[in-house]
Amino acid sequence: MTEARAHFDEAQGALIASGVWHAEAASALPDLAGKAVRILDGAGVTQLDTNGAWLLLAAARPQVSDPMPELRAFQPPHLAMLELVAQHCATTAVQPEPRSEGVLAHTGRGTLAMWGHVVGLLDFVGRLFIELAALMGSLGRWRWREFGAQVSAVFVGAIPIVVGMLFLLGVVFAYLLGSQAQQYGANIFVVDGLLMAILREISPVIVAVLVAGRTGAAITAQIGTMKVTEEIDAITTLGLSPLAVLVIPRMLALLLALPLLVFIGDIAGIVGGMLVAQQQLDISYSMFMDRVADVILLKTLLVGLGKAPVFAIFIALIACRMGLSVTRDARSVGANTTSTVVQSLVAIIVINAIFAVMFVRLDI
Amino acid sequence: MAEPVIDVRDVSITLGGHSIHRDLNLSVARGEVVALIGGSGSGKSVLLREIIGLLRPQAGRIELFGQSVWDSTSEQMNLLRQRFGVLFQDGALFSSLNVEDNVATPLFEHTDLPHATCRQLARLKLALAGLPADAAKKRPSELSGGMRKRVALARALALDPELLFLDEPTSGLDPISARAFDALIRLLADSLGLTVFLVTHDLDTLFSIIDRVIVLSNGRVLGSGTVAELKHIDDPWLHDYLTARAPQKETTHGN
Repeated sequence: MTEARAHFDEAQGALIASGVWHAEAASALPDLAGKAVRILDGAGVTQLDTNGAWLLLAAARPQVSDPMPELRAFQPPHLAMLELVAQHCATTAVQPEPRSEGVLAHTGRGTLAMWGHVVGLLDFVGRLFIELAALMGSLGRWRWREFGAQVSAVFVGAIPIVVGMLFLLGVVFAYLLGSQAQQYGANIFVVDGLLMAILREISPVIVAVLVAGRTGAAITAQIGTMKVTEEIDAITTLGLSPLAVLVIPRMLALLLALPLLVFIGDIAGIVGGMLVAQQQLDISYSMFMDRVADVILLKTLLVGLGKAPVFAIFIALIACRMGLSVTRDARSVGANTTSTVVQSLVAIIVINAIFAVMFVRLDI
Repeated sequence: MAEPVIDVRDVSITLGGHSIHRDLNLSVARGEVVALIGGSGSGKSVLLREIIGLLRPQAGRIELFGQSVWDSTSEQMNLLRQRFGVLFQDGALFSSLNVEDNVATPLFEHTDLPHATCRQLARLKLALAGLPADAAKKRPSELSGGMRKRVALARALALDPELLFLDEPTSGLDPISARAFDALIRLLADSLGLTVFLVTHDLDTLFSIIDRVIVLSNGRVLGSGTVAELKHIDDPWLHDYLTARAPQKETTHGN
């Protein structure tokens, strides 16, 4: 193998190439700016592929409209290669790169996309209600088996992570609250604060965030992949509704699972706090439980549990809609899964804020 | 005879308790267009995956251009990979890149050319694969099946390999596109001097563009030769296979 070499003969106006001409040979080309190549001499070329042929031709005539140089002394197969490539050279002409859009255009596009999400969600809710109304008449058409499978995936599978997370949050919260309360000798009030925080805010929000990340993403990825593999189309052509088969069982499963998970999270958080109270604040377990019985209000528990179904509906709606709006490529599955998690988190935070203001106004 | 481009010797593999290949031998010479046929489950795709270095056989030796596929260091293997191109069954285009960047990816990775030149070379390959110029900026999901295969072929040709592997190149194409694709493969094989190794079920491909057919059966090579020579092999499956096309076609390929 000899290296690719090329030099320009000023007298003849000839580009004389030799050696092996592959894609790597580009660096061997001399600077031809402002010089007209009339002859392409390939007597010394030992190997030539399409990449090499294109490089030689592109060097010899920078514009496709330039005259074709005379091809001299090439071996017959190399000549055939050059002619094959020359036929297609017009399509390789430099195309201007599309201009990247500015901040204003980007913002506008983002706003339109956000508006599109709102409209899409409304449209989806509408179609879901029509589907539900149709299903009300016949219990036999409900997908109980799918519902059961979803409950197992959404609820049973999430118990360990919910217990672990809320237990640790209970520990941390009681510890921090305790170290403050201790300075005033107000150890026992840690129980009040812990109950209020865990039952009302921490457990519902954290569990909803967990479920949005865990189940919401899974729903979008699964339905999206089914869309890519045309399973959704198959369901439709079999005379079934994708909404009844896929969306409603998932929605009901989340609706059932989220309040239960929040309740489990409540218990785990309180147990975590109880451990810290006993270790750090000298509040025995029985004292802790007595205090809980004294200060707990049913409404504190119900406020937390009541938020859960609302979160569940939004997570399920967003996840299923994003899954069904996947287009047929892998990139879109990833983009929509990301979008599901982001939209769900935003929805959870916003709804929680609305609830907080509402409950204060209603004096609950 | 010159050194074979593909040389498979005594390859055996067992997958999931089933013996797929037992002491399988085959070789392909430079410049040949060879088809591998065999019944469903005869291990055609497994053999292809072994040859291109995706699945390690339990015994035997596979050489490409005289270099062992499974005893090479990863650097040697990467150099070897630049010498062959693979067309996967459904194209396996990168859905996050547009058509032009799909084809230019091997050039971006393996050459020092500026990106603009890589894209121009990619458009040359697209033109060679018979795609219109306006396809270059589209996304793979916007293309028809036949166009996706052409893009995949262009990507396989990006580094001007000497050897091309095609997995079921005409499956999922209508007969007109399939014949056009066959003609394209033959044209490129002849004009670029490629060696082509393809796995196929398409009898029309066999009868039109193939130099030699290798028949895989029961984990071994049952026989190889031109379609006419295969008819002399006494095997019920092969007989059924070769006569499985529409009867009126029987008369046309005899000449």
